[in-house]
Amino acid sequence: MATANSRMVAALFALGALALSGIVSTAARAQAPAVDPAAVQILKRMTDYLGSLKQFSMHTQINIEDLLASGQRIDEDVAASVIVSRPNKLRAERKGGLNDQNFYYNGKTLTLYNAPANAYATEPAPGTIEGLLDYARESLGLIIPASDLVYRNAFQLLMQDVTFATVVGKAVIGRVKCDHLLFSRPGVDFQVWVADAGRPLPCKYVVTDRGNPGRVSITTVSSDWNVAPEVTDARFTFVPSKGAKRVTFMPPDAGSTPSR
Amino acid sequence: MKTILKISLLTPAAVLMFIADVPPELPAPYVQLVPEAHAVFGVRRRSFRRGVVIGETAAASSAQHSQQSATAQQQATTSQQQSATAQQQSATAQQEAATAQQLGRAAPPPPPAAAGKPLPVGTVVSALPGGCTSTPVGGVEYYYCGGTFYRAVFQGNNLVYVTAQPK
Repeated sequence: MATANSRMVAALFALGALALSGIVSTAARAQAPAVDPAAVQILKRMTDYLGSLKQFSMHTQINIEDLLASGQRIDEDVAASVIVSRPNKLRAERKGGLNDQNFYYNGKTLTLYNAPANAYATEPAPGTIEGLLDYARESLGLIIPASDLVYRNAFQLLMQDVTFATVVGKAVIGRVKCDHLLFSRPGVDFQVWVADAGRPLPCKYVVTDRGNPGRVSITTVSSDWNVAPEVTDARFTFVPSKGAKRVTFMPPDAGSTPSR
Repeated sequence: MKTILKISLLTPAAVLMFIADVPPELPAPYVQLVPEAHAVFGVRRRSFRRGVVIGETAAASSAQHSQQSATAQQQATTSQQQSATAQQQSATAQQEAATAQQLGRAAPPPPPAAAGKPLPVGTVVSALPGGCTSTPVGGVEYYYCGGTFYRAVFQGNNLVYVTAQPK
């Protein structure tokens, strides 16, 4: 009986030690530097490489998680491809259940073309791709595919307000071995996978909205990278077909309700 | 026998403790409920699209193109434009969409007198009602449907229709 009691004491002690080690390890983790320089360095290698390219084209497959009012999740698939010729030419196409559209930017004008409706709108645009992306988003309420990676200062934009960064490990995406990185900033987590050998191209990235109780994410997998695409001027200028209807952009804040 | 019993009790207890240890892994500073809807991440884009999806569903579920359901669609569309946080935005979009769907289902058939009553100019709908005829006026294509003129516009990435007065 005495042996059983002493065994019980030992077991309780072991349990207590486990609980204590849990507390200690949590405290240690909380004090550990949250931004791992190794993760930041890999991200910077990728953004520096993309920023150094005079021109490139790529294909992306985008999955957008969506919560219905019923709480059920559905995923929207969008295929997008982008051709960039710095400093002032960009062409993008986006195809999916919601959108079938082309973007043309030739350094002077931006055209958005909606193929199913054969309708397009053309606006004068700023003189650089970075200016164009800002203008499209802020003045037209327009998001151009893969713009996160197209910005020349993508590193600053991605690292802004980052409070946590770590190298999760390795992964193989589309037969490419990649480093898996995780970053957090207020309200948003993002994961980036970067090819670990050869050209440091982004393999995939996932953005998670932490503010949404469903933690929904947007996943982008990139492929078909080409750093010497054909960049003749004609590819970046829209020529309306016969019967194409010219329409306008509605200012993003132009609502039809008085409250706006 | 007792030893086996103790091991079988201790092992799950230890496992449970490790599980319980996981949540505090997130340091307090970045546990926030208000997200930063930075466009570079497309968070806003997703919310924006969500509004559109549900708006279109609402439009499809509403066989009637009464003023009531059109207004509900307009509300759903307007909810996309709310540029507060992504969280607020998506919550609003869902509420609006739920309202739109309810209104769409509950909407009674339009009384014959109201059928031809035009919508206020500037009302946005995600799709044209049926039975439209199109006419170019001053280089702009107008669609005349049930007593109302519409023209196509891009609202962000989406082609929508807005009620208009041809000039």
